[in-house]
Amino acid sequence: MKKTILILSIIFLAMALNYTYTTASSRITVSISPPSVQANMGDKITYEGTITNDSDNPVNNLITYISLANVTHGKEAPMDLEDWSADKAIKVDTIPPHGTYKGKWPMRLIDSGSYVAYITVVDKNHNTPVSSMMSHLNVKRVLRLNPNNVLPVAIGEPILIGAVFMFISFKRRNRVK
Amino acid sequence: MEIGKEKIPTMTMKMEVKGNEQEGAEDVPPPIKRRLTMIIEVKDLVKKYDGHTALDGLNFNVEEGDIFGFLGPNGAGKTTTIRILTGIIRADSGQAMIGGHDVFRETMEVKKLINALPESNGYYEWMTACEYLWFFSKLYVVRTSRQEILMLLEGVGLNGRENHVIHSLSRGMKQRLGIARALINRPKLLFLDEPANGLDPGGRRDIHDLLTDLNRKHGTTIFLSTHLLDDVKRLCNKIAILNYGKIVRAGEVERLKGTVEDIFFMSTKEGAL
Amino acid sequence: MKTLYIMQKEIRESILTPKGFLWYILTSIILSVLSYLFLTNRELSLLDQGTMLYMIMNFITALGVLMGLVFGSDAFAGEIERGTLEALFLSPVNRMEIAAGKLGAVLTNWGIIFAVSLPYLFIVGKGGQNLLMGILYLGILGTLLSIIFSAFSMGLSARIKSMKNSLIISFFVFLLAGSPVFISAALRRTWFGRILDLVNPFADAVNTFDSVVIDSQGFSYQIGRVAIICVYTLLCIWFLKRSAVKLEM
Repeated sequence: MKKTILILSIIFLAMALNYTYTTASSRITVSISPPSVQANMGDKITYEGTITNDSDNPVNNLITYISLANVTHGKEAPMDLEDWSADKAIKVDTIPPHGTYKGKWPMRLIDSGSYVAYITVVDKNHNTPVSSMMSHLNVKRVLRLNPNNVLPVAIGEPILIGAVFMFISFKRRNRVK
Repeated sequence: MEIGKEKIPTMTMKMEVKGNEQEGAEDVPPPIKRRLTMIIEVKDLVKKYDGHTALDGLNFNVEEGDIFGFLGPNGAGKTTTIRILTGIIRADSGQAMIGGHDVFRETMEVKKLINALPESNGYYEWMTACEYLWFFSKLYVVRTSRQEILMLLEGVGLNGRENHVIHSLSRGMKQRLGIARALINRPKLLFLDEPANGLDPGGRRDIHDLLTDLNRKHGTTIFLSTHLLDDVKRLCNKIAILNYGKIVRAGEVERLKGTVEDIFFMSTKEGAL
Repeated sequence: MKTLYIMQKEIRESILTPKGFLWYILTSIILSVLSYLFLTNRELSLLDQGTMLYMIMNFITALGVLMGLVFGSDAFAGEIERGTLEALFLSPVNRMEIAAGKLGAVLTNWGIIFAVSLPYLFIVGKGGQNLLMGILYLGILGTLLSIIFSAFSMGLSARIKSMKNSLIISFFVFLLAGSPVFISAALRRTWFGRILDLVNPFADAVNTFDSVVIDSQGFSYQIGRVAIICVYTLLCIWFLKRSAVKLEM
């Protein structure tokens, strides 16, 4: 009997601790803005995340980062954000009671498709990360044949160097036997 | 300078060489007069390569205006001697004076007085004959007009070849161009290392005529290193025979007893012993 | 003045030749392909312009250094093998003037590569950050690296007297210098990796480009690395001088 009471007590204590934990992590909320984006390939957009501390105590040492998932049919996969120039996680030292922190994630849209972006906050003192709602991102494919006027240089320069060489060779050939 | 001159005996080769005192002794002019006309003075020159002795206390002098034959079998040290005297490599010890200048201390002064045609002379094959001579005239800081370069080419029998790319010239023509290059600074002393190597009899004869002409008309002293005895007989008034890095015979060709061939073979045999 | 004539000869011999021009045409074709892919290809155009500029700068520097090694290896050993050095040594030109003339030709080659790459740098870096600063650093550090590696291989060619061997050793040293590129980012962050990066002039230049173009850091951040590159430059010139003076045929 004693043994049963002890086990039940331990289970109850564990459940109580877990409840407290969950309650503590729910002090933080995070939102992402804008909620949806329509843009073209190559554009630069910026996501803004707002982290709010709803509790009466300050929260310290939070880590927050953005995630992007490709939800295009047949191409579903998480994206490596290093390629999208948005890989940097932000460390938030402290947010005062009922205070907010705003973080920015600039991003270069490198591929077309449908994506979802969301921001996550991790507090090392708590087990559950907090994520924002998903922001829907639609990137339209743009075919650019001559960005930055690259073609005239890319084609013209090798030809120009070749022409200079031909000119020098021709001049010398006329001079020597 | 004076000290250096004093230290170098005037006819050291005769003191060094066994058996030819008789031939040389009667030929020795008074020392002071001799000293003034000496263009090359070499004393106790030693050069070693990785333990192998290429020159073993070499002593000899060359008078101004001579065509001096420097004979010896392969590996005797002829090329090493020329490279030391032209300032390309340094000797391990000994003294060498050219035109009164210490070869090791006044190399640049010496280089202005001399020029040379090395044995394995390479060419900038992509240049024309004219460009080649113009390039070297600039290195010697000699004001040379195109006309003068053309005359120089004509002098070595390359008239009409000034705009030919060196690559297209025959071996004999290249050799002539090399001689023209060696004359670009009008040297007082010209070193030639096997100049007739690989030339046909006609080419060799032309080179002989050219060198004789140079010596007679311009008084250029010629230091001719060769193992072709025929060249020596035709061109040289004095010779020295080198073997194992030492002079084993020296003197005037006419006064040395026996034919040049006999002297050469006897000397190299003695040297070997 | 004699140095200039030797430099002119070297330029005509190595640069104004079909082989020389082939190098430049190939350089411009590679840069054309690279720039076009950077700007139009989906996977590559994802890079921001700073990163593209940085990558092209690295490529140009490596190419300049590589060509400097080839020129340097040929400088003395090549002339010895072709039998042309003796005539040069016979003339009243001192060894350092000859070496300086040859080094001048290598720098001319670097100048041409730099000039060939300029339009590409402007196209790729247009509208991006730190373009002009990047080009300035590329010009200065590229010149110093060209001196370092070509003076080293010239010195080596004077000592070894074999073009093939000095080229092999020079390439090996170049690969060693470029090896940090293959080391993982994590290892490069350790103390050993940092020291390896710092003592390596090539890595110093690449890290400086990164710092200037991508991280927009000022000169005060670059002083240490630039100083190390300058020290290497002086050391390699000293090595070349010693080797040229000691050269015996």
